[in-house]
Amino acid sequence: MSDITLNINGETRTASVPPETTLLKLLRDYLNLAGAKLGCDVGDCGACTVIVDGQAVNSCLMLAGQADGRDVITIEGLATRDNFHPIQQAFENNGALQCGFCGPGVILAAKALLDENDDPDVATIRDALAGNLCRCTGYTKMIEAVQVAAGELRAEAPQQLSHAKSEAAS
Amino acid sequence: MQAFELLTANNSRHAVELLAANGPAVKTLAGGTDLMADFKSDTHGINALIDISRAEDLRGISLTDDRLRIGSLVTHSEIMAEPVIRDNFPALVDAAHTIGAVQTRNLGTIGGNLMTCIPSMDSGPTLIALDAMVTIAGVDGSRQIPLADMFLAPRKTALRYDELLVDIVIPTRNIGKPTAFLKFGLRKGQALALVNVAASLWVDEETNSFRDPAISLGAVAPKVIRAPTAEKYLAGRAITDEAMAEAGRLAVDDAKPISDFRASADYRRELIAVLTRRALAKAFELFTTRQKENSA
Repeated sequence: MSDITLNINGETRTASVPPETTLLKLLRDYLNLAGAKLGCDVGDCGACTVIVDGQAVNSCLMLAGQADGRDVITIEGLATRDNFHPIQQAFENNGALQCGFCGPGVILAAKALLDENDDPDVATIRDALAGNLCRCTGYTKMIEAVQVAAGELRAEAPQQLSHAKSEAAS
Repeated sequence: MQAFELLTANNSRHAVELLAANGPAVKTLAGGTDLMADFKSDTHGINALIDISRAEDLRGISLTDDRLRIGSLVTHSEIMAEPVIRDNFPALVDAAHTIGAVQTRNLGTIGGNLMTCIPSMDSGPTLIALDAMVTIAGVDGSRQIPLADMFLAPRKTALRYDELLVDIVIPTRNIGKPTAFLKFGLRKGQALALVNVAASLWVDEETNSFRDPAISLGAVAPKVIRAPTAEKYLAGRAITDEAMAEAGRLAVDDAKPISDFRASADYRRELIAVLTRRALAKAFELFTTRQKENSA
């Protein structure tokens, strides 16, 4: 068995799993975090996308042992009790999801992009979402939603900056 | 997935010790984007994986003594973001960008891509067109061979089971050599190459002719190959559109494409001619762009 300790959505979690357990299986079957979806299970569809140490990865292709000690963000880590994350809100407002199965992966792929680039053009968004298959939407509304979310996050950012400045000053 | 043991290597030395100590039914695990996908259906009798993803000495890109070293564990995303590579070899950035999707490129490594040894790999042609060498380590020491000699057949490399690919080195003489990579797939994202091509060339400025032209082709033979007939034709010849087009036609005969469910052999032959011509033109364009930048 592999003993795994990792930080998931800001919380330290531990589990003891067989060595061949993927990060996806660890999340879903051992830690009751079923937001990441099991789609193709071979890294084509992106439904299992989570963010590991700041990067979007297919959790079906990463062994739990390889994620040991790392920081993982899953879809469960985005919304607060009262509010959706701006990307989730933009997806809802724009009708960017239909059946929703691909949603957690798409939204986390979008988050990984926007964490790096707060004003991506359409080609950049398409590139960032190329690993997430959606059989309902045709992607257009998703891409619009990511652009809306980018605007929201940019509008929020100056406040955070001024907050950081006042902290630095004090 | 079928059960297997997972052993974590702290560095390359530790990795080769683990490989040697655990017998032939072991395999090295890096980013896992190829290996894990394969293991979901069959682990092929492998009973232990040596996880090298934490071996820090296999990371890093460095330009030292004018040679470029890329650690085998460098991810495709890291190649795309690395200024040394962007400045010297934009073709490597282009090649990395065509591999899988963001999620694949964040996990997948250049060493892993080469070790798959599949003919359509996108990391191969550019490196082969730059005469890259690879360092292979075993418990008794390491050896360096041309990357071209590491590929034996589909999914078969020159490495013994207890050896490890440590790094890829582009030799001094080819640092900054204008190089281009082009791939034709059926979609923009997540598509395997029907054909991919890399071309590199120096320019003899007095005669405006090709010096050391190199053309490498993927997905058109059992392994990534060079196109010697086309290269020989270009060497010393004046740089013209016609010469590039003729090199493209000659490159077709250097290849042995097959028909499969992605494309027919005839279609691949057409692609070889067109992509070779375009890759040569793009490499030459890079040369002229750099020359303008230097004189400005």
